[in-house]
Amino acid sequence: MLNEDTRKLILAHFWVAFIAFVAALALGEWQMYIRSPLHSWIQNPELYYRSVTAHGSAMGYVFPTLVAMGFGYAISELSLKQPLIGRRWAWAGLGLAIVGTLTAMIPVSMGLASVLYTFYPPMVGNPFYYIGIVLVVVGSWIWVALMSINLHAWKKANPGVPIPLPMFANVAAAYLWGWTSVGAAIELLFQIIPAALGLKTTIDAGLARVFFSWTLHAIVYFWLMPAYIAFYTLVPRAIGGRLYSDSMGRMAFILFLVFSMPIGIHHLFQDPQVGAGFKFLHAVFTGMVSIPTLLTVFTITASVEIAARLRGGKGALGWLKALPWSNPMMLAVAFSFIMLGFGGAGGLINMSYQLDFTVHNTQWITGHFHLIFGGAIVIMYFALAYDLWPHLTGKALKDIFLVKLQLWLWFVGMMALTFPWHWVGILGMPRRMAYFDYSNPAIAPEAFAVIMSFFGGLLLLVSGILFVVVLARGHLTEKITLPEFRFSQAVHEPSRLPIALNSFGLWLALMIGLTVVNYGLPISQLLAVKQTSVPVVPIGAAR
Amino acid sequence: MSEQRLFSRKNPWLWGSVGLVAAVAIVAMLIGFVWMPYSQSKKGESLWTFICRAAGTPLSAGPTLIPTTPPARPSNVIVTAQTMSADNPEQSIGRGGTLALRCSMCHSTQGKLPLAQSTIPNLAGQNSLAIYKQLRDYKSGHRVSAIMQPMVESLSDQDMRDLAAYYASLPVIRHGGTPAVKAPAIVDNGAPMRNIGACVTCHGEVATKAGAPYLVGQPQAYLRTQLMNFANGTRKNDINEQMRNVARNMTPAEIGLAAQYYGSQ
Amino acid sequence: MSLDTPQSQRAEAVAQKAEARWAIVVILIIALLLGMMTYMGLHWLTMPASRVETIDPSTLHLAGEFMEENLGSAVEPDGSVTVRLVGSQYSFTPQCLLIPTDTPITFRGTSSDVVHGFNIAKTNVNVMLVPGYIANFKTQFSKPADHVMPCHEFCGVGHAAMWAHVQVMDKTEFFKRAEKERRLSCVK
Repeated sequence: MLNEDTRKLILAHFWVAFIAFVAALALGEWQMYIRSPLHSWIQNPELYYRSVTAHGSAMGYVFPTLVAMGFGYAISELSLKQPLIGRRWAWAGLGLAIVGTLTAMIPVSMGLASVLYTFYPPMVGNPFYYIGIVLVVVGSWIWVALMSINLHAWKKANPGVPIPLPMFANVAAAYLWGWTSVGAAIELLFQIIPAALGLKTTIDAGLARVFFSWTLHAIVYFWLMPAYIAFYTLVPRAIGGRLYSDSMGRMAFILFLVFSMPIGIHHLFQDPQVGAGFKFLHAVFTGMVSIPTLLTVFTITASVEIAARLRGGKGALGWLKALPWSNPMMLAVAFSFIMLGFGGAGGLINMSYQLDFTVHNTQWITGHFHLIFGGAIVIMYFALAYDLWPHLTGKALKDIFLVKLQLWLWFVGMMALTFPWHWVGILGMPRRMAYFDYSNPAIAPEAFAVIMSFFGGLLLLVSGILFVVVLARGHLTEKITLPEFRFSQAVHEPSRLPIALNSFGLWLALMIGLTVVNYGLPISQLLAVKQTSVPVVPIGAAR
Repeated sequence: MSEQRLFSRKNPWLWGSVGLVAAVAIVAMLIGFVWMPYSQSKKGESLWTFICRAAGTPLSAGPTLIPTTPPARPSNVIVTAQTMSADNPEQSIGRGGTLALRCSMCHSTQGKLPLAQSTIPNLAGQNSLAIYKQLRDYKSGHRVSAIMQPMVESLSDQDMRDLAAYYASLPVIRHGGTPAVKAPAIVDNGAPMRNIGACVTCHGEVATKAGAPYLVGQPQAYLRTQLMNFANGTRKNDINEQMRNVARNMTPAEIGLAAQYYGSQ
Repeated sequence: MSLDTPQSQRAEAVAQKAEARWAIVVILIIALLLGMMTYMGLHWLTMPASRVETIDPSTLHLAGEFMEENLGSAVEPDGSVTVRLVGSQYSFTPQCLLIPTDTPITFRGTSSDVVHGFNIAKTNVNVMLVPGYIANFKTQFSKPADHVMPCHEFCGVGHAAMWAHVQVMDKTEFFKRAEKERRLSCVK
């Protein structure tokens, strides 16, 4: 059972996250419309990039971070069965995140920092944009510390007892984020913010890209963590089954922790500032990081099968029919896996750098990460919010039909959005353009696909609004007495574990060690060369 | 249970995991830093040379500096957003105001609004880097003008900076007669497939690129002439062909539209 | 369920075996993909940028390899062709590249201001131009065609208009022209 104040804390995180999400969703759909053949060329293209900056910053830095934080506090209290330690600090962290978001969004909405959420130095915008982002990240660092503190307090009280899987995964996610965010933090604090404040007039754009790549790939795994935690610890229970293997779950989260950092240079395959050897090295480790996902697919599918067989499902594939398809969680996990399957296949293509040459920085990439993040991951955010909501509000969620409709709309919308995107990417359509000349024979074949993805986006917007409507209505029903919140049980609950699977020291050491091996030389080489610092190009001065 | 130690030689997880990760890294490094670069190396290259290349050790300046005869440059000026950082702006503007007396015959000291048929640019409120760069180009002959060249002959670098600072400090004067005129597409969006950038993305109103002049309020005839000159290559002091790339793809009608729009603002 | 009965221990062993089999399949899949990548890198010479070179973006026009008159396609002594180009807000120079068929091509490019990049539609040419560095890319074109070449990295508000063109022409015709002109391009 959640403590009353913890409930408020989690609800506050979720509501801020979801409001940011719906706002960013509306901007995203506006962008789809503006650059589609349905709209004439936007008169002021700067507005488009302003919107892209806001959309990316909200969806990338604010929404998933706050979901992970809120969910993390819930996991800590529910799985450790001890009151959350440091609740005041948690509120302070949320406060920082909100202040940071506003600080960042004011200059963005004024058009003073249209640099997109990936920053793109040597373009440098208003310092408050970057300072705001730093504040959001610092807020999340408080969460990282609190998760660690709560775990250690529990371990002290329960020596030798296996850490509950949800908390183990949650703390892995926190450590992952703590280390992941360091790359962008260095870029912001030592390169961009001094330039934005006018203390420096040059910046090494190549080095900045290397630092950002450190964050840019692993951040996706941080976004993914709440979804994977839901796979392992909510889905089997919600559909009436059991988790196939507890230790495989631990292994998956450990592999993410170790391998998701030292692979970011695969975003720089075409860049001139990194040697080919490091590109190959990072490609190899990118291959390694797909292992935990493939393991998860097996374990969760097996867990779902267990649920089906417990419900009387028979046959090699006949058990699929016995699944509780009317259960929203079942629907969500099925949709998530389909999107993860397509998105993952696309990811393996991006990893192989020869294949990546045909798609790098085309709409394929936009399609890829919207399918994985917006699709497979965000649909699980919905599912976990629905699952937790009664325990946060103390009231029942009654709109089961709307919930299912919302999930269906999201799935269909995301498919309609991202498949055409992948397609036009293969045709060579570049990313991040405010308008296209569809009358030109070189681009005309892409027009239909772009219109299709606009309608996909429209379904997503409707679905997103429906999501917050369902949650808001969840506050309005009468109070109910809730059963105790349970996470999934494994078929074989571990009674003792090897210390390596019950602690983080080894994995953190490996994570940091591997980052040093894979990033140390590229970074120090560029740091040592002074002539690569180039003049800053200030953004946002119209006249 | 609790006596189990993580960092102990007896813990198979420790050497197992570290060993596996190290093995993957070492194999990947041998392929990426030795085998692949070796297969692509030139004959007689030392091991060390191609390992360093694969590791991305920066080489400064290309090895093949091509001799150019004669050295044809579009301009001698290095244009960045930081080119005009003045130590003492007030003083600079004051000195510029005095120097501007010699310009007043054509440009007036107040940057008075010229007529639409004028081929003389309006300097009031123009951005200082744009003025400075053109003065330098007149002086070095990269921008050709029988009138301007003798005018700038005697100016020092500081004089040119001061003049630029002075004119930049003057208030902008607009025609202001037709505020409701909608900009033509060529100004707002350019023509992407002909690689014509939108005027507003470099020349003010939406964004300003370092060295690019503001166009609002410039006389129509002046703009048309300059665009024509860029298009036919009689004017080529634009660094990296920024303006020639645009102008040579514009139709005479588009040049007319753009000039008319800015001339009426 | 965590009772240590012999039955449950047996079931756990079966489950672990199934997991281990799957893990091996997964590792084989990844190894196959990485093996393919290595093979292509070794035998088809399809590798990312092979060297890191630095250059000052603000003085490209004053001296050296990326001066105006050095840009475009140049025939090298060994019969290969080097295409030099500069990306600036918001055009590539030259804005139309002329390239022969069936000839080893090396692109050498850099940026004079912010980060740019380009892909040549329907080919595997894809290069980032980062100011301060020189990008290299080796490739070959098999048949004559016209391609569009957009800037594919956000480079400022005018990004959407930054489209160059590529004309791949017959080898013999190209080299005939190259006898008369030091640098080739299809800029009109």
